[in-house]
Amino acid sequence: MTGHERETISTDTPPWKSPVVLSVALHVLLLVIALAGWSWTNPVQEPEPRSISARLVSPEPKPSPVVDEQDQRDKEEERRLQEEKERQQAEAERKRQQEEARRKEAEEQARKREQERKQQEAKARELAEQQAREKEAARQKAEAEAKERARQKAEQEQRAREEAKRKAEEEQRRREEAERQRQEQQAREEAERKRKEAERRLKEQQLEALAEQARQEREAEARRQQEAAAARAREAQMLSDSEKYQALIRDRLSQAWYPPSSATENMVARLQITLLPTGELANVRLVSSSGNTAFDNSALGAARSLNRYPVPDDRDTFERYFRQFTIEFNPQRLR
Amino acid sequence: MTQKTSCHKTTVKMLLTGWLAAMMLSAGNASAELLIRITEGANSAIPVSVVPFAESGAMPPGDKVSSIVQGDLTMSGEFRTLEPSKMLSLPSKGSDVYFRDWRMLGQRYVLVGELTRSGDRVHARYELFDVNQEKRILGETAAAGVGSVRTLAHHISDRIYEAITGEPGVFSTKLAYVTVSGEGDQMRYRLQVSDVDGKRAKIRLESREPILSPAWSPDGKKLAYVSFETGKPAIYVHELSSGQRDKVADFSGLNSAPAWSEDGQSLLMTLSRDGNAEIYQMDLASRKTTKLTNHWAIDTEPAWDYANKGIYFTSDRSGGPQIYFMERPGAEPRRITFGSRYNARPRPDNKGEYVYYVHQRDRAFHIARTNLKTGDESIITRTESDESPSVSPNGRLLIYATGQNGASVLTVVSADGGAAYSLPAADGDVREPAWGPITR
Amino acid sequence: MKLSFSTKVFAMVLSAGLVAGCSSTGENMEDEAYGSDVQAIGGDDGSTVYGGDDGDGVSSGVLSDEERQAAREQAEQQALRDITTFYFDFDTSEIKQEARDVLVAHARYLADNPRQQVRLEGHADDRGTKEYNLALGERRANAIQRFLIVNGASRGQMETVSYGEEKPAVRGTSDSARAQNRRVELIFQ
Repeated sequence: MTGHERETISTDTPPWKSPVVLSVALHVLLLVIALAGWSWTNPVQEPEPRSISARLVSPEPKPSPVVDEQDQRDKEEERRLQEEKERQQAEAERKRQQEEARRKEAEEQARKREQERKQQEAKARELAEQQAREKEAARQKAEAEAKERARQKAEQEQRAREEAKRKAEEEQRRREEAERQRQEQQAREEAERKRKEAERRLKEQQLEALAEQARQEREAEARRQQEAAAARAREAQMLSDSEKYQALIRDRLSQAWYPPSSATENMVARLQITLLPTGELANVRLVSSSGNTAFDNSALGAARSLNRYPVPDDRDTFERYFRQFTIEFNPQRLR
Repeated sequence: MTQKTSCHKTTVKMLLTGWLAAMMLSAGNASAELLIRITEGANSAIPVSVVPFAESGAMPPGDKVSSIVQGDLTMSGEFRTLEPSKMLSLPSKGSDVYFRDWRMLGQRYVLVGELTRSGDRVHARYELFDVNQEKRILGETAAAGVGSVRTLAHHISDRIYEAITGEPGVFSTKLAYVTVSGEGDQMRYRLQVSDVDGKRAKIRLESREPILSPAWSPDGKKLAYVSFETGKPAIYVHELSSGQRDKVADFSGLNSAPAWSEDGQSLLMTLSRDGNAEIYQMDLASRKTTKLTNHWAIDTEPAWDYANKGIYFTSDRSGGPQIYFMERPGAEPRRITFGSRYNARPRPDNKGEYVYYVHQRDRAFHIARTNLKTGDESIITRTESDESPSVSPNGRLLIYATGQNGASVLTVVSADGGAAYSLPAADGDVREPAWGPITR
Repeated sequence: MKLSFSTKVFAMVLSAGLVAGCSSTGENMEDEAYGSDVQAIGGDDGSTVYGGDDGDGVSSGVLSDEERQAAREQAEQQALRDITTFYFDFDTSEIKQEARDVLVAHARYLADNPRQQVRLEGHADDRGTKEYNLALGERRANAIQRFLIVNGASRGQMETVSYGEEKPAVRGTSDSARAQNRRVELIFQ
């Protein structure tokens, strides 16, 4: 189940990919395991070990009696008896030994047969075991193969994911690099732009200064022209002067006028003023009364309070506008 | 004396200048003769010189007539007078007035005169000159008993005021007010009458119980007021010359806030005889009363408008006291004040231009006025616990009571809030000022 | 029940004492409050005044208890009635909650003593105009009068008068002085 574990911990897998693959792999794995497990849990019918045939025993060799040669006479006989005896003894011994050898051989043969049988049995068992082992090996191999396949698949997938991730990261790096480069480029451009802007501004300022200078020159010129024009057109000049001095006179009179507390916004007093060219008052005459003596007096007092009226030096303008004029006193915003 | 200040006028002037320049331009072209229109005047007081009067014969001790006149003119806030020590000469006759000198001193008017003692009378001859016009605009004589030189002086002040401003002066009018002094059993309420400069005060009524709301009859001969002398408030009409008193309203509950009609025949008053404070009009001859308001709220402090047609009063029908106006007695009232939650005791001027009243702003009570044409409200006192406004009969001055160092004093301000002076402090509290009418 | 009522009386008397302390000198408030408190409780023990009446000997312990209880109640009522000044907020004539028990006691007393006359004096603080304050003081006195009538007193026993701001209990323009001046005083005659 390591493959499974690897599946679950491989969080790097793109989310859209992993669950399907995971489940498919898991199912495949489960299926394989289930199949393998099935064959493993149902034992194959095996032939019984052939123990009977294996018990075949080979025939035992029988001990055969041996016929002795003619003994020698008395002495000889004796000797020969002795010899005979010895020979019989030796024969007995030989027979015994033969017997012993035969027994031993029989025993050996029996042991061999037994051994053979056992060997055969073992062989049969071994065969069976061999078969079982082979089967188990096959099963394990299949299982291992399945596992291996699953593992390989998982590994492959993991590799694919890692590859994808790596690629994505690389892509990201690439993009970042591109962005960085772009920003650098931008910064460079910005700096450049600023530099250019500063240059431009400086240039503009210079230009402005130049323009200002030019403007001033033009204005000066215009003024000169205006002045020239004014000099040419005395009417306009006198009018302009007139306005200026009218404003001056108005201010001076406003400061000098104390509207009485009985004044209302309806009251109007008109005075005719006659001035000397010096601005001194030659005469003041109430040409239109407000109907309120105090109000009229306040107007007359104001008109007379100016020691010298502000008048233009230009004689023509003075004669035209300020030799004689009218002042109207009419309070607008009382209190 | 505080100089009148006005910066808004300057800006207005500047605006007008531009407009007028354009006007002038066309006017200049159209007609042969130039017209300059003056719509704003100087905002300062008029410079006037009151030259000390020459005297022949023994004069009574005390203030000189000319110094009383000088004080009157200064008090009005409309004039600034030149100290005699700064004068280049002290003429007493028109022939001695060198206009050039006065012009140099920046003076507009010069008053000269002389006093002559003749028996127990003092005769005054006085002349007022317009310095710029080099013209006498007033030349009169007047006389008074030796003990009444203040009366003589105030008369001269009135004449000068009128010659210069075109309006009657109020220097000969009287003030009524109530003083309170003493503690506990020694506490005394005194109804007093004095000159407008606070001099020659005379006690007209003294009581251990409160005296409130003095109101002058139109002829200046009687005072109506509220006195608690019987343990509850009642309205009395008091003839000053004889000291004779009539208790005209003594109903159960409130009898308060009397206000005379212009013909002197009836009084407006607040009664609660029907259980709630309402405004009534009482015919003094018949003592018949007519109920003018009918509302569960408090309605009080009535006052006739300048034309004696409508009535201003205080009502808390909106939840707190506010000023209301009835076009005619009994008409549906119209609310006048909206600027704060407490506006009370209306006192209209004599021209129908403004109504003055007590106005609460934050924790302070000021006197404010509302322009009846525009509805604009402006606070005209800088003091902070102000009560009982009363407008001078020419509408130029306002007197009110204000707390000062724990006591109440009377203060006079010009009606636009400019100049202000406090009347000399009497003993204890001075309150409830009522400015008397001009009598001739 | 009994205990809570006594506690209430105690509280009322204490507060009355506090106010008395304020209005008289503005100092030694605690001393005076304590003093008047002790005095009031001492008066409470004056059941002896009424105890002497059950002299017919037949009275059992139960009756005597009732008598004592009645006496105590009466004393408590009297203690409540020691409070004769009632305070108001600025520009209002609303009777405060804590004044109601006391006013009920006064109303009961007036109902029980039809010949008793009382004068209700309404006052305002110094803020605002004098005539409006006169009306305001009257409105306060009227509010108290209505309350007493509703609780058993008769109109004929009462006389109201407003002094407006003319008779302050305390001189001065502090908030506390003004609070003590916005009041109605009951004056029994």
